[in-house]
Parts: sequence; C-alpha cells; structure tokens
Amino acid sequence: MGAGPMAGRRARGRWAGLTALAAALALMGAACSQANASGSSGKVPLVVYSAQGYDSAMVTAFQKATGIPTKLVDDSTGPLLARVQAEKDNPQWDILWVDGATAFAALDQEGLLHRGFEPSVAFTSVGQQLIPSDKSYIPTGVTTMAAVVYDSSKVSSPPTSWQDLLSPQWSKGIGMNDPSVSGPTYGFVAGMMQQFGGAAQGEAFFEKLKANGLQVFQTNGDTLHALTTGQIKLALVQSSAGIGAGLQASSIKSVFLPTQTLMPGCIGISTGAKGAVLKEAERFAEFVLSGAGQKVQQGGDPQGDSLYWPVLSSVAPLPALPDLSALQTQIIDPTLWGPREAGINQWFDANIRG
Amino acid sequence: MVRREHQGLTATEAVAGAPGRRARLALPGLAGAGRPLLGIALGLLLVLPMAFFLAVAVSPRLFAQGPQWFTLSNFAQALSGQTLQGLVDSLVVGVVAAAVAVAAGSALAWLVQRTTLPGRRIVPILVWAVLLSPSYLSALGWERLVEPDGVLAQMGLHALALRHLVMGPIGVTLVLATRGVPFAFLTVSAALLGLGSEFEEAARVHGASRWGALRVALPIVAPALWSAAAIVFAESISDFGVASTLAADAHFPVATYTLFTAIDSTPIEFGIAAAVAWLLVAAGGLAIVAQQRALRGRSYAVLGGRTRLAGRHRLGPGGMALGLAFVVGLFLAALGIPVLGAVSASLLKDFGAAYGLHAWTLSNYRRVFTDDGLLGPILLSARMAAITATLAVVIGLALARLLVRRSASTLTRVLDLALIGAVAVPTVVLAAGYIFAYNLPILARLGVSLYGTLTLLGMGYLAGVLPTLSRMLIGPVAQVQASMVDAARVHGAGGARTWQSVVVPLLARPILWAWLFAWVGTLLELPISQLLYPPGEEPLSVAITKHLANYDFGGGTAMMVVSVLGALAVVGAALGLFRLLVPAGWRRAGS
Repeated sequence: MGAGPMAGRRARGRWAGLTALAAALALMGAACSQANASGSSGKVPLVVYSAQGYDSAMVTAFQKATGIPTKLVDDSTGPLLARVQAEKDNPQWDILWVDGATAFAALDQEGLLHRGFEPSVAFTSVGQQLIPSDKSYIPTGVTTMAAVVYDSSKVSSPPTSWQDLLSPQWSKGIGMNDPSVSGPTYGFVAGMMQQFGGAAQGEAFFEKLKANGLQVFQTNGDTLHALTTGQIKLALVQSSAGIGAGLQASSIKSVFLPTQTLMPGCIGISTGAKGAVLKEAERFAEFVLSGAGQKVQQGGDPQGDSLYWPVLSSVAPLPALPDLSALQTQIIDPTLWGPREAGINQWFDANIRG
Repeated sequence: MVRREHQGLTATEAVAGAPGRRARLALPGLAGAGRPLLGIALGLLLVLPMAFFLAVAVSPRLFAQGPQWFTLSNFAQALSGQTLQGLVDSLVVGVVAAAVAVAAGSALAWLVQRTTLPGRRIVPILVWAVLLSPSYLSALGWERLVEPDGVLAQMGLHALALRHLVMGPIGVTLVLATRGVPFAFLTVSAALLGLGSEFEEAARVHGASRWGALRVALPIVAPALWSAAAIVFAESISDFGVASTLAADAHFPVATYTLFTAIDSTPIEFGIAAAVAWLLVAAGGLAIVAQQRALRGRSYAVLGGRTRLAGRHRLGPGGMALGLAFVVGLFLAALGIPVLGAVSASLLKDFGAAYGLHAWTLSNYRRVFTDDGLLGPILLSARMAAITATLAVVIGLALARLLVRRSASTLTRVLDLALIGAVAVPTVVLAAGYIFAYNLPILARLGVSLYGTLTLLGMGYLAGVLPTLSRMLIGPVAQVQASMVDAARVHGAGGARTWQSVVVPLLARPILWAWLFAWVGTLLELPISQLLYPPGEEPLSVAITKHLANYDFGGGTAMMVVSVLGALAVVGAALGLFRLLVPAGWRRAGS
C-alpha cells in the first residue's frame, strides 16, 4: 500500500467503495420493492397457486367481478406442491388448484387444508361422489385417465379393451407417462390396480405391457410428441390432452377404454387463510363454480385443460367431449391410494420404466 | 505493447492457491470494512440457505418435514436403488466430461494462442456463445435432430446408430463435455498467454522432439488444467438442463434428476433430496482436494517480467486441415447442431408433427410477438437479470481478489471449497433452501418479510451465478500485474485512482463478459424462478415452461428460440458498444 500522505485519499476511496456496494444493494431493493408494494388496495390480496391452463383467465375475471386483488403463482403441479411442502411452517398460499385428489388428501392429513366448506351449488352425482367427507377440498371438474390416443391416418382399428393392448399388433407401439413425473398418471396406475382387483394384478398387467414393448415418457406432452413423430402408435394420456391434440390435428383421435379412472381438478383452501382472507378464498371457489366462472374455465384454455367434464348439473361440457355418462368410469379412494403412491411409483420406475 | 506486457504474467496465476507474484487489487474501500461485509453477503446469499437445506437431511423435524429430530435414514435411502445409481452415473459422467472438456479445450487454446490457424480470432466469440447458451437447449436440439421423424429424418437421413449414441450415457457425457470446453479454453488460454516460449525452446535445443517439448510444457500449465477439470466436473454433476431432457428421456438416471424427482413428485421428500445434495457437495469438495493434492509442494512460479513473447507455430497444410476440422467439428457439435435442432423444432406445427416440409410454419413465432402474456415476463426477467449481473460482478470481483491472494490462508481455502461446493449443488437445492431459511415464521414476527418478494428472487439468482462467476474472474484478476499496480501507487495514485486507471482498463473485457454470462444465465434461469417467484410476477422461464407443459410444443420452443436470439442480440449490442465507446487500449488488454 502507499505511504502516509495518501491516507486521506484512501479513506475517501474506502467510503466510495462502501457507498458503491451499499448503493448497489439499495438499487436491488428499490428496483424490487416497486412490485412488492403493488396490490395494496384496501382489501387483503388473495394468493392462488394453480397449475390449471385457465387459471390466469379465472384470476383476472374474479378480480374484475369482486374487486379482490388476486395474485397467481402459475406453474406445473410438481413445483407447486414442492413449494407448498417447503412453506409448510408458514404457508404463503390461500388457494391451491391442481388435478388429483390424492395430493389434497395428503395435504389434509398434514393439517394444511381448511375443512368444512362446501359451496351451495348443484353438483352432479359424480361431483357429489368426489367431495371428501371432511369437505377439505372442492372438485371443479373432471378428466379421465387414460385416453388411448392414436393417429387415424395410420391406425384403422384402435383397441377396444385394456387386454387388447397386450396383443402383438401393438408391440413396441404403446407409450405412457412416468407416474413419478406426471401426477395424473399415478391415478391411472392406481386405477388399473383397482379395476384388476389389486396391486399384484395391476403390476402383472403393466409387466405384460412392458413385455409387449411399452415405452415410458415424462409427461402428456412428451408422450403425444412421440405419437405424432411416429415413435409409438398409441399414447395413453390424460383425456384433456388427447382431445386437445385432436382439435389441433384432425387425424388424432381418442378412445376411452373401460374402465376410465376419474381425475378431479380440485380447489383446496389453506389453513393459513384466516378472517377476511378465508372469506375471499371461499368467494373464489364459489366464483369458479358459478355460471360466469364456468364460462371462464371453459374458455381459458380451449385446446387443453378447458376440455374437462363439469361437475355442476347446470353446465354442459364443451362439444369436443363425449358424454361422460356413456363412459364406464370409476373413482379411486384418495385416502387408500394416496399413501401408497411412493411405493407404487418406485416399483414402476424400477420394473416398468427401465 | 499491451500484448507484450501481458506475457510477463505468471502462468500459474489462473489458479487459486498456487504461489506467485500477484497484484494486490484492493477494491477501493473494501480493504478494511469490506471483508466482513463480503462475509455477511455470502452468509446470507449462500451459506445460510444451503446449510438450512442440508440440515433437512439429518433433522427433518426442524423444518416440519418429518417426525425425526435426528436421522441418517435419508442417507441410507440416497445410497440405495435408483438414487445410488444416479450418483454413481453422475460421478462417472462428471469425470469423463471433465477429461474430454479439458483435452478439447486445451487443444483449442493451443490452436488459438500458439498457431497460425485461420479464423482463430473468432474462436473466443464462439466459445462465449457456447457459454451463454442454456444447456437444455443443447440437449433438446440434439434430441430434435436425431429422433424418429426429427430433423435428420425429415432430410431423409435415418441415423439409427447416431440416435442410440446420442440418447444415452455417451450423448449425455458428450453434451456436458462440449458445455465444459469454454471453461477449459478460458483457463488454459490464460495460462498459455503467460507461458513464454523459452521452456519449449530449451527442450527443443536439448534434442527433444515436438512431443517431448509438449511434455515439458504440459506440467507447467498443470494448475490450469486441474482448475479447469475441477470446474467442469462440478458444473457437470450439478447440471439440470441435460439431466431433465436428454438423460431423463434416455432413462439414464443422474443425481440431479433423482434429486429433482424427490422434490417434484408426491410424496415430496426434501430429506432424501438434501442427502443427495450433501453427496454432491462432497464430490465437488473431493475434486478440489484432488486438485490441491496433485499440485502440492510444487512451485509453478516459472515466469516473471522477462518472459519472452511466444512465437506462433506455423501450421503446414496437413496440420491446418486437421486443426480446422477439429475447430469446425467442435463448434458444430457445441453450437451449430443444437441451434439447428431447436430452430427447426420451433418451426413444426402442432406437437412437432411435421408431415413433410410444407408443414413448417412461422405462426409460432408470430404468436410469440402477439401473446400478451409474454412481454411482461420478458421485461421482468431482463430487469432482474441486469440487477443480478451487476451485483454478481461487484461481489464476484471481490471474491476473486480474495481467492488469488498471495498467501493461501485457511480462509481462502475454505472459500474455495465452499464455492466449488456451491457450483456442484443443483440450483433447485438453493431455491428450496431459500424457502426454508427466509420463510421462517420467526422472521415474519421480527418484521422481516423477504419471502415472496422480488428481492429474495434476486438474491436467489445472485447466489446461483456467483460461485461460477467468481471462479471465472479468478484468471483475469490474477493476471493483473503487480508491478503495474505498484507503479500507479508509487506515482501517487490512491486506491480508487489505481483501480480506475490500471485495474478497470485491464479487467474491462472480462468484466463485460462476466456480466453478460450472469445476465443471460439469469434471464432463462428455471429452478430458482419456479420456487421463488412472487405471486403475480411470472419470470420468462416459467412462462416458457408453462407453454411447453400445456402441449404447445411449437409455441414453447419458438419462445425459447426468440429469448435466446434476443439475449444474443443484447450480447452483440453490448460488445458493439464496448468496441465503440471504450478506449482501444482497454479493448486489447486481456485479449
């Protein structure tokens, strides 16, 4: 370092450096605080964590209709549930809106869901069956697992039963999602186990499928991509994804083999939502299930998640959907199959995905 | 002149911990109060969140993630079945990728610095382009290229063998190795710039063949090679882009992906993820220990002010053809093919279903520019990235300065280990750690409400880029010649003046590149964005992923291509402005 006479200058330099660093940190805070402060308008903001394709349209419509400032964290189900789990000690969400009752049953067991609320609407019989006895979450629509999707320009006679999939005709030609990556696919695997009479019988079916050359991809999008690029002939994906693909490319068709497992989209309210926020959260659920809300839900993602079957007797599904009552369907008990999810996924990854 | 001055630098200075004469680059004002400030910053940004997340592995109860106050069961699970396989795969991939990257990067550095290879001047720009492009783009590009009905198939080439090669362990390793080449190139280039020709000449005079001369020169640049290998290894084992695309689609389990599935699918098991993270940190630490053991007790301080300018080896026609083939092949693999693959995929209709070339369409691109939901995320991410990059460069310079200190103190060694450990940790771990640390109920009671704010997201971004960035700056910071700083001080310049007139001009170019590296990396960062973005403030990467998840394959890929091209345009503009506005002497320094 330099000699004594420069001490003053050095001190100034030191202050300059410290000031620069402090200014940089302040800059970050200031640049960020602008957005942090926004939304503080009398009413307490409502925070919605959602993976639904129509969620951002719904939040906008709800805010417009009620004046309640509503903020959305819009992501896939996996990262959202990870966030909810990590925030467990201090939940930052008020509404969680994703597909699959098993996830909600697990959150309920951990005491993270507000119980006992049911909007006063006329549910269909399917809707009523999906409401848990402690009323800890609310169904907002159903899809099924799994539609068998094919390209009608390449496949003229699609299968008519699950057993058909084991025939040599479909050797190396079937693709499905990985249940440990795609949440709804666990519902499919569990549903197959239920309809075949138990986990062992279900495992045997998937082992035979594997012997017939089953290919496993990550999510609906990947499996459909494999179908349209000719890697597989049949894609087993969520009904909304299959029907949506048909709307985008007319040669893509879906068949619904008996029995289909119902996959409800649900809203859960956090136990962290209290007082005014709890009231707002209940209003959000009521709005979703109102006539206006259902219009938004059916219009928000017309080639994707909007292709659901409504659970309200007053609302008809979009024209692209077949009549749900004409399909053979089943509901899996989330409290029975939820706790088995880790074990069954592990079995699948070790024995089927491979 | 600047170039000649540059030759006087010690070859070893690119590496932390190796002895040598270095400039004392006291950041003005950071001499006394700076170190505690830096310590607090690092503690809040990196150490605290990482420690919190790692603690979940042994004490899930502490964060309400399980019933046990103390358990080792998460480690037992992490070291069994698929997770163990993933760890072993990651270590093997990391070692091989590091070896390949160091070999290719060194060869490239030699061709550029020491031969008359035509086109050598554009190589550094291409190297930076590789460094700036996200790894998932490379992986996706390769997939779209070789898949059935992919780009090659569209062109009538059904390369089945190539598909099997790419969609498996070899493809994963090679993609990671090509991504590691820039680190090796930059580190070895710095060492070669400082290595005069006298050692090779001495060997040749004593009758050694060209190969023999190489054997003399290689050990001298050993510190640079080891340093490059350590960083490529750590980057490879923590990479998520390739793990979530190429490796996952090929059902080749690697540690980052098993860690991700532990967090991302029900039941969410933070404990197991944390145990895997521990093991990755340990692996990163082992890499540094191996580096230090390999170099221990040897002096690499071979060069001083009298180092002679190294001549360039004139390549014969055969050598030139070979060299060009190598460079062209390398950049085709690292840059060209992924870009081609991604761009062509974004032109496909529907789910990438192209029934012939006529189905290629620009409508996806049109949608990107008319989609209301996209402009907001782009502006937000660009702004966050700019703030992050600026702070990262300031803090990164301070860290780099600490790491190249003349005496390798315990503090330096701990810092070095912590930083490489942080490089080896997938950013999703950091993000989860941020939730555990900054969403504690006690903080809310104390009036600290950082969680769910853009400030915390920015801190997360900063923590994500800082470890790699500070290691990138070590080389340039070490190269600033001590005598120049001393000269400035002798002539009466104060700390600030010295920085302004000596250090900043010498470091201007690396600072600009480091800033751009942090900016681009943050612009498209995914795991931290997903877990930390405040409600209602959607970052770009989340918006893109959402489109891909909603089966909008063409649209999602088009957004990605537009973002990457936009980012490259900004990089180009920044470099152009640098050329226009900055004095010529600054620009030549460090080239």
